[in-house]
Amino acid sequence: MPSSSIAADGSPLGDLLRQLRSWSLVALPILFFLIFFAGPLLYLFVVSLLEPSQTELYGTNVTLQNYAKVLGDEFYLRIIQRTLLVGALVTGIALLIAYPVAMAIARMTPRWRIIAMIALMFPLMLSNVVRAYGWIAVLGRQGVVNTVLTQAEIIDAPLALLYSIEAVVLGLMTILLPYMIISIANSLTGLDRSYAEAAQSLGAGPLRTFIHVTWPLSSPGVAAGMQLVFFLTLSAYVTIALLGGPRFSLLVSMVYRSAMAFQWTFSAALAFVLLGVALGVGALIMLVLRPGRVQGRG
Amino acid sequence: MIRLGHILQNTIAGIAFLLILGPTIVVVLVSFSSAETFTFPPPGLSLRWFVEFFQADNMTSAFLFSMRVGATSAVCATVLATLAARFVVRQRGVTSGLLQSLFTAPLVFPAIILGLALLLFYRTINFGGPGGLILAHVLIGMPYAFRLVLASLQSFNQTLEEAAQSLGAGPFRTFFLVTLPIIWPGVLSGGLFAFIVSFGELNVALFLTGPGYNTLPIEIFGYLQFPGRQLIIAAASTLQVAMIIVLALTIERLVGLARIGKS
Amino acid sequence: MAAGEIDVRLENVSKSFDRVEAVKDVSVDIPRGQFFSLLGPSGCGKTTTLRLVAGFEHPSAGAIYIRGAAVTRVPPYRRDYSMVFQNFALFPHLTVAENVAFGLRMRRVPGPERARRAREALAMVKLEGLAERYPRQLSGGQQQRVALARALVVQPAVLLLDEPLGALDKKLREEMQVELRELQHRLGTTTLFVTHDQEEALTMSDRIAIMRDGVIEQIGQPREVYERPRTEFVASFLGVSNFFDGRITAAANGSATVDLGFGQAVLSHRGTVGEAVRFAVRPEKVRLGQISTGGFAAQVREIVYRGVTTHIYLDCHGNEVIVFLQNASSDALAWRIGDAVAFSWERDSAVVLDRG
Repeated sequence: MPSSSIAADGSPLGDLLRQLRSWSLVALPILFFLIFFAGPLLYLFVVSLLEPSQTELYGTNVTLQNYAKVLGDEFYLRIIQRTLLVGALVTGIALLIAYPVAMAIARMTPRWRIIAMIALMFPLMLSNVVRAYGWIAVLGRQGVVNTVLTQAEIIDAPLALLYSIEAVVLGLMTILLPYMIISIANSLTGLDRSYAEAAQSLGAGPLRTFIHVTWPLSSPGVAAGMQLVFFLTLSAYVTIALLGGPRFSLLVSMVYRSAMAFQWTFSAALAFVLLGVALGVGALIMLVLRPGRVQGRG
Repeated sequence: MIRLGHILQNTIAGIAFLLILGPTIVVVLVSFSSAETFTFPPPGLSLRWFVEFFQADNMTSAFLFSMRVGATSAVCATVLATLAARFVVRQRGVTSGLLQSLFTAPLVFPAIILGLALLLFYRTINFGGPGGLILAHVLIGMPYAFRLVLASLQSFNQTLEEAAQSLGAGPFRTFFLVTLPIIWPGVLSGGLFAFIVSFGELNVALFLTGPGYNTLPIEIFGYLQFPGRQLIIAAASTLQVAMIIVLALTIERLVGLARIGKS
Repeated sequence: MAAGEIDVRLENVSKSFDRVEAVKDVSVDIPRGQFFSLLGPSGCGKTTTLRLVAGFEHPSAGAIYIRGAAVTRVPPYRRDYSMVFQNFALFPHLTVAENVAFGLRMRRVPGPERARRAREALAMVKLEGLAERYPRQLSGGQQQRVALARALVVQPAVLLLDEPLGALDKKLREEMQVELRELQHRLGTTTLFVTHDQEEALTMSDRIAIMRDGVIEQIGQPREVYERPRTEFVASFLGVSNFFDGRITAAANGSATVDLGFGQAVLSHRGTVGEAVRFAVRPEKVRLGQISTGGFAAQVREIVYRGVTTHIYLDCHGNEVIVFLQNASSDALAWRIGDAVAFSWERDSAVVLDRG
């Protein structure tokens, strides 16, 4: 049997070499992530701090003017406001609808629960553009709603239901609803029933059991769902453009438009303001819900 | 009282499912319409819009391009994901948590920012085209594949690898003769999931596609921005629905779709 | 004995996990053909030691040799051994025959010969006919034999067994113990066996090492270790022992008189007057008689009938003394709870234990 020629046993060098060799397996994925994920993001951040240039991609001087433009101009501030409003509406309404649905799913037998989960995951695998088109088909001038209302002679002329903030909120909310439902349902099904039973044995009725036991224990799922839905709302350019129309702009629309106009430094700043909004709201959700106090599974 | 609560929950659930699946069902129904313009309910059934779809050059080339990008990026994503998962499953504590966060980060990161960052990055180094999009989709699909392969490896009995080694199989042969044959459903599902994600991906593709190399969703988006002849989009949508159904059922048979439930 | 005759050598091997020392400065030589057991409670380091020999752990210090070659830095798949795992680790996606032939395949044995040898190995463990089944279709005992066949078919220099019988029920385990031993005798394979079951170790081994907290407390042949335990731990881990403490009052010519408080005993021991000693006497070596026959006075506190033996628990001035009597050959059944008795032992039955 061949024996190794490396000298003393347990030598730190030998250990180090062995450690490095075992990391070689994951070197490629890590490298990939550094080059195509972390790297470009850092680069974009740096660019957001540079002055714009007409001839080059960006200038050489470090400046905060891009951020000043975003956060100082009333126009952009109103857009940020509107973005937050849409985000809050979508997330809030999704939560209100998703929680009862998740409770219904948690009550199902495992077999039906799996079917329900698949039915929820399926639309998530379709492209958002197809689902947005679905709402165009429903809310458009020749869409289902207008057709039904016209045929029932409730209205004379088709309603302009699209190209409104309501259409955007409705569309986004239904597109992202499965995420919220799945997240909360997972949390609820993971709950040990003995918690609720213990509460009831101590005198808590259904409502108080919910308030003091079920809701707090499901907060990790609620927080995760809310964060996910909010983040995805911020990014959903296509849905917003299709259902809100060309004159309905949210923060993400500004990012896209300025990038297409080659305003690199400005779009970079807009992008990081978007990120800031996302992280800020994410932190807010964590603060309000405090899911951390639920340690471990039920 | 509790019964009332249950009835309420079920009703809301019904409404929710209707809202979620309804619009797509409408689209699928309308895609078989024989009418010239959008009418619901469709006056008659016909496959004309599917024919139109396959006759439209830009549509079919976008469809094929999406397939190409999806397949290539899925394969690469799965390979990377398997390497990463293989390593992570052996680690304990802090390292494992850190690496898992790294490899699933693209899931929660706003894709729009990623798209912009990559566009600028590619511009700077004069790279781009289909290759750029494929690499971006590898990044986006990898977390999904990673989670699935990792789950497979976590339920894999590691003493089997030790047994193989004790019989003389080196690391490579151990992986290909013992580990992979046992975890392949997880690996394949990871690949399929990465493909599905790539096919439907919009936000990054918005920045990284261009004339001559558009993915199907981007092509559809372009179409929808102008009124008129939209039923061809319905056909395209139904095709995607059919494809997703087939793939989703395959994944379900392989590893059980519901287990992937967590977002 | 030539160096080539030692198949496994551990030289001052230590292993730490995150500042916890699992194995402390262990040195062992296992000659060719010997059945060597590592015995100890869980957490004592016996499995870690086995895995060090297998190469699944790297020693923090020390060297390991298999058949004279230093393997400390050699990966597991290049060491000349094979292993039977506690959970069998049969490859679920391969048939029984393919499982058994796996090691041969790794050694690039051609197909037809592989198949032949695999069949022979299966016949050796009495499983011919199950070659085309899958592991999940076999019972626990059958899976165990397949694991054994898979390990033996490659004719390894050393066979490592990690509590292989732990998953089997009692009857099956005892059958397998005998079969395993017969097989090992027939093939002459050097074997390192890890177990926490002291009966198992005593039954099967040529030599036993008893481990505690990463250290080997005693190595020797089963009889030697059982009859003459060196430490209190060994005396109580292997079987049952009665412990007595006393002080030497007189010592001469290899014999010491010890004051026990409730009486005096004479031991075969070289000691000095005034020295404190602790010694052990096995319950089956304690003799029971009427007070008048001499010995130490005690009272019967409890009697437990055990089929072949009866266990009698005595109270001697607050100390518990256990006595095992053979039901067939003694008047074990004559005693009653509360009886006043006298117990004694033959001088050489008492074993003085090491301090500490």
